[in-house]
Amino acid sequence: MSPRSLREALAQRVLSLAGRGQLEALVHEESLALTRFTHNAIHQNLAEHDVNVRVRALVDGRTGVAATNDLSDASLAATIARARAIAALAPPDPALPGLAFNDEPAAPPGAYSEATASASPADRAGIAAATIAAAERAGLWAAGYVTTASTGLTIANTAGTLVSFDGTTCGLNVKANGPDASGFAERHGNDVAALDGTALGTLAAQKALAGARPASVAPGAWTVILEPAAFGELISHLTDHFSAQTVDEGSSFLADGLERAYMGPNVTIADDFAHPLLAGCPFDFEGYPTRRLPLVAAGVAKHVVTDAAWAKRLNLANTGHGLPAPSSDGPQARHVVVSGGTKTTEQLIAETAHGLLITRLWYIRSVDRRKTIVTGMTRDGTFEIRDGQLTRAVKNLRFNQSILASLAAPEFSHDQHRTTSYDYQIVVPTAKLPAFHFTSTTDF
Amino acid sequence: MTNFDALAARALDTASARGADYADVRFEDGRSERIEVRNGALATLSDETSIGYGIRALRDGAWGFAASSDLSDAGLDETAARAVAIAQAGAAVAARRFAEAPSDRYVAEFATPVIRDPATVPLDRRVALLLDAERALRATPQVRAGRAWIDLWRTDKCFYSTTGSRIAQSILQTGSGLWALAAGEHDAQDRSYPGDVGLYQTGGWEIVEAAALGENAQRIGEEAAALLTAPQCPAGELDLILGSSQVSLQIHESCGHAAELDRVMGWEANFSGTSFLDPAQIGKLRYGSERVTIEIDNLMPRGLATAAYDDEGARSVRSDIVRDGRLAGFEMSRDTARAIGRSTNACVRASSWRSVPMVRMCNLNLVPGDVPFEALFEDVAHGIYMESNRSWSIDDHRLNFQFGCQIGWEIVNGKRGRMVKNPTYGGVTPAFWNACDAIADRDSWVAWGTPNCGKGEPMQTGRTTQAASPARFRNVRIGVGYES
Repeated sequence: MSPRSLREALAQRVLSLAGRGQLEALVHEESLALTRFTHNAIHQNLAEHDVNVRVRALVDGRTGVAATNDLSDASLAATIARARAIAALAPPDPALPGLAFNDEPAAPPGAYSEATASASPADRAGIAAATIAAAERAGLWAAGYVTTASTGLTIANTAGTLVSFDGTTCGLNVKANGPDASGFAERHGNDVAALDGTALGTLAAQKALAGARPASVAPGAWTVILEPAAFGELISHLTDHFSAQTVDEGSSFLADGLERAYMGPNVTIADDFAHPLLAGCPFDFEGYPTRRLPLVAAGVAKHVVTDAAWAKRLNLANTGHGLPAPSSDGPQARHVVVSGGTKTTEQLIAETAHGLLITRLWYIRSVDRRKTIVTGMTRDGTFEIRDGQLTRAVKNLRFNQSILASLAAPEFSHDQHRTTSYDYQIVVPTAKLPAFHFTSTTDF
Repeated sequence: MTNFDALAARALDTASARGADYADVRFEDGRSERIEVRNGALATLSDETSIGYGIRALRDGAWGFAASSDLSDAGLDETAARAVAIAQAGAAVAARRFAEAPSDRYVAEFATPVIRDPATVPLDRRVALLLDAERALRATPQVRAGRAWIDLWRTDKCFYSTTGSRIAQSILQTGSGLWALAAGEHDAQDRSYPGDVGLYQTGGWEIVEAAALGENAQRIGEEAAALLTAPQCPAGELDLILGSSQVSLQIHESCGHAAELDRVMGWEANFSGTSFLDPAQIGKLRYGSERVTIEIDNLMPRGLATAAYDDEGARSVRSDIVRDGRLAGFEMSRDTARAIGRSTNACVRASSWRSVPMVRMCNLNLVPGDVPFEALFEDVAHGIYMESNRSWSIDDHRLNFQFGCQIGWEIVNGKRGRMVKNPTYGGVTPAFWNACDAIADRDSWVAWGTPNCGKGEPMQTGRTTQAASPARFRNVRIGVGYES
């Protein structure tokens, strides 16, 4: 049997064991492998596999959740009983939506790659070796990882829903290190065949070499060009603002209302699981089809994302952005895409009189949530631009900047890239942002 | 605790037969219970169990790690073989070797002390406690969202190695907290309690009782609302007094992570970063003022990382990171310690059975000072007292930091005065710790646990404690991010 068939049989076994009553079974399977290297050798090398069953019981307007990875009938029956016992003790929630029937939406092309799912330790080591070799040729040392993962999700409920998704992800991330500088490059996707260790290792090494002997520059307001890894990290701190929960509770900048211009007219942001660079799951963790949704169109806020509970509470359509229910985190936009512009990154640089080209941002944290002010650092390659030319490497700086203000008059490259960290995957172009505020510097 | 002896023997035998020079296997049987009330409704009421194992195999100086929840003979064999195959693939890439086979052997059992097992507290009583506390948070009209929660984490783990170790440990970690969000026309302010993430410690229901959620909920809601109309925190070079939970965060970010030896050696370079520290600085670097001593105590009562042995089977020992202001050591594993000519101080943890063990900040504490908390204010002409972290950012060498708190009070001529909002401060790690001129005494020393420390790839969420008292720092840059 295929992994999908096994998960569906498992989910149906849970429903069968449950007998009567409203119940949802969420089966999550993950096989993840990651090969990590530093100083041009592999130092962490791992593979993980787990199958987890999460049972949600609804009893007279009350919810209980229990989960297990022991897949025996006895364990599953005990898990169902625990979920029901918890539900019996919960206070009733008049706003609790019941379980709904949903058909399985089609997965986008490119969501699953057999080559990624079957990649071996030797395959990952080979990509790591090519990456390392590129750094070694430049007289540098490389640190990074190669990862391949396959994820399976099946949701079945007593309203008749049975939906499944199989997806893969992969990534190569490399930081090339010299005596006084470092350079970074990354590639993330669903097909391992796209991971080119030589190309990325060379790119990171070129950055590191160009970053040697960095100079200090004064903090203050700078025009910045954020490469995708940097811009994606910045935008990731905006995504929670599009949740119906944060809007309703007043912590989102969108609390002032939709259909208002919050950003410049060339800013368009969507949540799009089917974007070719993402190709993700077409339904949410309640089994509801996820809508491809414009969040900001030409600078104007258009939609917030909802789940079953928030759709009912605010009398909105369910956009299918639920986390495993019930969730204190509310619905989330998990496939954010920022539209590209019309220029190349080289043009953006060439048209900059004085500014900074930034490879990567780091440790961004909210300073003032409602005003979207965040602080963070540059890292792994920051360069000064004068009269349209990259002139010299500069030492790292700390910024304090409102994300909204930075998007008042941006320019974007036409090409988009998928960038990833542990808590997001985002598609963004390179962004040129005027008057980005730096408040202090470092000695490196 | 489940007896894993037979399963472990099979896994280790298979790894050896496949060519491992050394292998260990860590079984974990965990249960996580969470109750969370949000805005008067139960947002989470869940009970999750997870059982599985992770096998480390060493081959030709390279580690391989494979984890699975499949406890069948075939699953054990397959996982053990995979761990060895991964090690072989790693060894083939480069001549450099990071690992050597350990030789120690321990047979031991350990359990964290528990005064009252939370299982003896009926679930409906736990729920009622949270519903009452969360309702009190929202007694103030401006509070738009409230949360109250309890986490109970039980982990039975058993470690076995081909050197003959068998280490069984039972860890019970308990946490609870509150959060209130007040929103005005163009502002939102939040407050949390206790500290900034709640009170998380090893122990039982007594940890929830110590948090005193019900007794503090209304005050926390009122403070969140009051912040909406409070004046902005002044900016400038001022004296700074930090509450104990913020000192805990300061230790965590600017000392705990900086002193992880794997970072120092570049093992986290591509993600979490490196460190400004160098082993050659031991005994030389003036990390802080002479009042600053920071030590590792992984056996301390209530420490969130308390365990008698770490997750590579090394015995916990007490050791120093900073002694009387000077750098004294690092948090280490066997492999990293050997690289600098030291022995491990058992600072290796994995976040679950499926995670690879790695160097982690464990219980890392600031030794309390000798003055009462209120005495810290006495000779401050103009300063700010800050409590409860809201924002934390530090560079990838752990030097340039900027932290923000939820609430502050202006200090004028030794007196705590008006409440101020959005208090922030920034600095550079050694200069900041050298500006510490007073630390409050043990009466205000709290074992603050951090349940959500991120590190590693794939990301692991570590549980760690930084016990601290309030402390005073002179001439700190305050108001960063809000300076006009």
